[in-house]
Amino acid sequence: MSRGYLIRRLLAVFLVLAIVTFAVFAITTMLPGNAAIMILGEYATPDAVAALERQLHLDQPWYTQYLSWVGGILHGDFGTSLRLSLPVTEVVGEAFANSAMLALTALVVVTITAIPLGALAAIKRGTAMDLGLGLFSYLGTALPEFVTATLLLVFFAAPQQGIFPAGGFVAPWESLTGFGAHVVLPAATLGLVLMAHVARQVRSEMSEVLSSDYIRAARLKGLSEKRVIRRHALPNSLAPAVAVISLDIGYLLGGIIVVEEIFAWPGLGRLLIYALENRDLPVIQAVTLLLATVYALSNLLSDIVIALLDPRVRYA
Amino acid sequence: MRNFFSTPTAIVGTALLSIVCFAAIFGPFIAPYDPQAFDALNRLQGPSMAHWLGTDQFGRDLLSRILTGAPSTVAFGVGATVVGVGIGSIIGVVAGVSGGWVDSTIMRILDGLLAVPDLLFTLLIVTILGGGMEHAMLAVSIAFAPGMARISRSAVLSVRTRDYVRAAVARGESGFYIVRAEVLPNALSPIVVEATIRVSFAIMIGATLGFLGLGAQPPSTEWGLMVAEARQFMFRNPWCVAVPGLSIAIAALGFNLFGDALRDSLDPKRSHG
Amino acid sequence: MTAQTLMKDAPIAATEKSALSIIDYSLSYKTANGLIPALQNIDLTIPKGKTVGLVGESGSGKSSMAWSIMRYLPSNAVETGGAIRLAGEELLDYTPFQMMDIRGRRMSMVFQDPSTSLNPTIRLGEQIAEVLMRHRGLTKVQAFAEAEAALARTGITRPKEMLQRFPHEASGGEKQRVVIATAFACEPELIIFDEPTTALDILTARQILDLFNQLRDETNVSALYISHDLGLVSRVVDEVNVLHKGVIVERGAVDEVFRKPSAPYTRQLIGAVPNPDRWIGADAPAEPQTLVKLDKIGVHYGAPSRIQKMFWPEDADNVGFWGAKDVAFEVRRGELLGVVGESGSGKSTIAKVLAGLQDFEGRLEFDGKNVASRKAIDRAYRRRVQIVFQHPDASLNPRQKIGKILSRPLKLYGIVPRDQIKARIAELLEMVRLPAEFADRYPHELSGGQKQRVAIARAFAAEPELVICDEVTAALDVSVQAAVAELLVKLQKDTGAACVFITHDLNLIRQLAHRIAVMHHGKLVDFFDRADARSDDRDAYTKALLDAVPVHAAPQETASA
Repeated sequence: MSRGYLIRRLLAVFLVLAIVTFAVFAITTMLPGNAAIMILGEYATPDAVAALERQLHLDQPWYTQYLSWVGGILHGDFGTSLRLSLPVTEVVGEAFANSAMLALTALVVVTITAIPLGALAAIKRGTAMDLGLGLFSYLGTALPEFVTATLLLVFFAAPQQGIFPAGGFVAPWESLTGFGAHVVLPAATLGLVLMAHVARQVRSEMSEVLSSDYIRAARLKGLSEKRVIRRHALPNSLAPAVAVISLDIGYLLGGIIVVEEIFAWPGLGRLLIYALENRDLPVIQAVTLLLATVYALSNLLSDIVIALLDPRVRYA
Repeated sequence: MRNFFSTPTAIVGTALLSIVCFAAIFGPFIAPYDPQAFDALNRLQGPSMAHWLGTDQFGRDLLSRILTGAPSTVAFGVGATVVGVGIGSIIGVVAGVSGGWVDSTIMRILDGLLAVPDLLFTLLIVTILGGGMEHAMLAVSIAFAPGMARISRSAVLSVRTRDYVRAAVARGESGFYIVRAEVLPNALSPIVVEATIRVSFAIMIGATLGFLGLGAQPPSTEWGLMVAEARQFMFRNPWCVAVPGLSIAIAALGFNLFGDALRDSLDPKRSHG
Repeated sequence: MTAQTLMKDAPIAATEKSALSIIDYSLSYKTANGLIPALQNIDLTIPKGKTVGLVGESGSGKSSMAWSIMRYLPSNAVETGGAIRLAGEELLDYTPFQMMDIRGRRMSMVFQDPSTSLNPTIRLGEQIAEVLMRHRGLTKVQAFAEAEAALARTGITRPKEMLQRFPHEASGGEKQRVVIATAFACEPELIIFDEPTTALDILTARQILDLFNQLRDETNVSALYISHDLGLVSRVVDEVNVLHKGVIVERGAVDEVFRKPSAPYTRQLIGAVPNPDRWIGADAPAEPQTLVKLDKIGVHYGAPSRIQKMFWPEDADNVGFWGAKDVAFEVRRGELLGVVGESGSGKSTIAKVLAGLQDFEGRLEFDGKNVASRKAIDRAYRRRVQIVFQHPDASLNPRQKIGKILSRPLKLYGIVPRDQIKARIAELLEMVRLPAEFADRYPHELSGGQKQRVAIARAFAAEPELVICDEVTAALDVSVQAAVAELLVKLQKDTGAACVFITHDLNLIRQLAHRIAVMHHGKLVDFFDRADARSDDRDAYTKALLDAVPVHAAPQETASA
């Protein structure tokens, strides 16, 4: 991979993140309600409010606030949570780790199931299996996470006879089985939507590859079907599959907000909803920025993987 | 367009869409019961002859509640999409037609906004605007705009380099004529297709907001809200969460399938694939 | 022996001795409109060690024939009878599994476009070696050694290095050599060449053709050579078959067919092959008057931005590339000026500059007035200079009817009063020999040639003084090509407009143009009167181009050429 390509992509990511900080700041400062009043309560004296506003730099013009906020971030300081009176880094850090475990579990499951499923459907086009996958993927993309989650709860987590716990979290270092039991339903909820989408995209990419001239040429060389599929077709549809998955990480990050709320998973999503309800500005800003960063970086990572998979991109 | 109904996708999509639209238009008039009428004796019933889809925790008829909720659910999806597509397409067309630094600036800003997941973006805006159906709808529109802008921009760009547009430029046509008569009519179909599919996302996000308590407010019969309200009782009567949940899925599926079929019939390359 | 008896006797005699024999073979495709016949009662024999040509225009069924022989038909194909025998063995009886063993080993194929028929993510070496490993049971090391040798035989100078490259790192000619090396790798009995030079540039095509002849002599392989180009086929084959609408209408030795074509279709086809000795152009303008003058015209694609120029001024010239540089020539009133070059030569760039579609550097003078830049081009200039593009599918707005398309220049420039527009459209259509009803049709309801006529009518509707034709015949079938070229010449004659005719086809341009400009790598390398095409002081590149294109005399002219 050429260094120029990497540098260009990295610069683009930084630019995106710079714009995101601005957007996040703009949106959050537009939030109604005065932070100082929120902290001190409605009956605080005007003097106390003014003092706190000074302390929070709320009396400064917006660009000064923005610059000091960004400056803080660059030093790893996201401010102090207004509600929890803890450093935001601490609050968000733990939630981030919990969310990452959930999201990665879902992502791994999706990757190892959806790609082979989609490829198989493309190879066996028009068969019952292909049709079944089509049906499943349409249903998957039409069910919002909260419906899937609720239905999964009804089936697998009923109070007495349920197989899995209805919610909560156990860290894997405390009990691996406990973590496993708790992660199944939320990960399945997240995974179902993604799996449906990824499998469908892989199928369509793979079909396109299978109808290409070079696959025809490979078959006309008399190569075995196994080699045509494994050596010629699959590698060429993997790069697009990675691109699809990386875009779907955006859905995944949106999805965890709802899923964590439903399954009481102490991650970023749950934290965000709590912060939104309580107008905890620094936390809202940090969570939003963090999710956007993860998304931008995962896109960068996928670009690198694609470049490794496809020699044409590698040298571009 | 001639062979639109030649695929199962199109047939099923059109059928589902017809059902959903029928419910959205006539639902409130054909509902057998008052959707808000409590019936303490018939709480959390399964489907029966009297209540085809069962009753909820207050004994309200689920079928009637679904039917009266249909107009707002569909209106939410279509409304949010139309506004979002409108805003987005204007931005995208302006970017695509202008090119140069205008285009790059708009695109960089869009890249930034697109890095924020749709649902998160919507949640932030809803929080700014405050809850409620109208605000939720506006929030979804705003969240949709960057994505739509990007799609309409690329549609415009792909048309812009076609020879018939070049021919118009070489002829000395005005920029306005070229955009109106040569570019837009040909860039429209990908935008329409995308918009149709997005209605299904809008319906799902709207329901999610209702579920989280940030969209429709009780005693509305919005479907997402119905799932949220019935969740406490879901183990006693799964029907009261399954019915509104599946209704959302059917509505979303209808728009999704219809949009896919539309794409296939408009794109000659795909239809032979 | 007449063609008739040849057709009758050939299959029976050929069965044992021939490499391939096709007997009374018919094929149809199942469509929504019922069975559409693609091939009807085909008899074709390829004797051992011979090359047989199959010539036809698009839609003639020539590709279907290739798929039939390779037993690689789409699922809607219905074979309605006949036999296809490889060295006497009936291929129709073989299972798909048995065919897998025959393909690549006993029969192989060379495709039209090497850039799509090679797998973009696999190194070229593996793409050759895999055939050897599959069919000759070689180990990886042996196969790569053999692949290297095979590549060397195709004239690639550093075969070992080439093995390590990916397709996008090789040129079109190199890629086609790889495909050819693969086809020859297992020393098959039969190779099918499906338009192997069509996607290549003139000089490269010539080299590939020479390579084919050389390899054929070395290996004594039997080959079926499929092409739309009768002139080209005549240089490689022993016997030619002319396919028209799924039926072989003519067969015979190449010279025979060229000298005495029996079928009317063959005669039409031969007549349409551009022949530089048959002048069809308009008379040259009596006294040369300059209409357009280009001086030091340059186009810099991907030119460095202001920031780049500021920080890396020394790189400014190397950023991007020059689509055209220091191009200078003039176009005279009423003349047809040919601009010839391979792809990437800058010929289309010059067309875009003239049509006001491309920013340029240098001096452009039109009718004595200086045009400073693209932005300075006004509507008056745009009316007087019109352009016709290569692909008629792309140059007509699919959502406008033909009448609307033709009305635009009339309205825009106020050529005729509003109430006469309709009548004028009918006249324009008649002028390009299309029925007046076409005004109510959409472009997709017309054939490629008809669409190109509409595009030409639109250009002439503006009553221009200069018409730029950018490869206007390249996307059309041979027979349609000739008609469109003749139409252009006639219009030019009638209106007195000058024409810049851009093409890669030297034979065609020598039939039409008064003067010819040759471009290469963005530069003008040669400029001459048509009469001087063969003169000694031509540029070496011009000579190479002229030598690369086959010239086959039309039957009514000299047969000795």
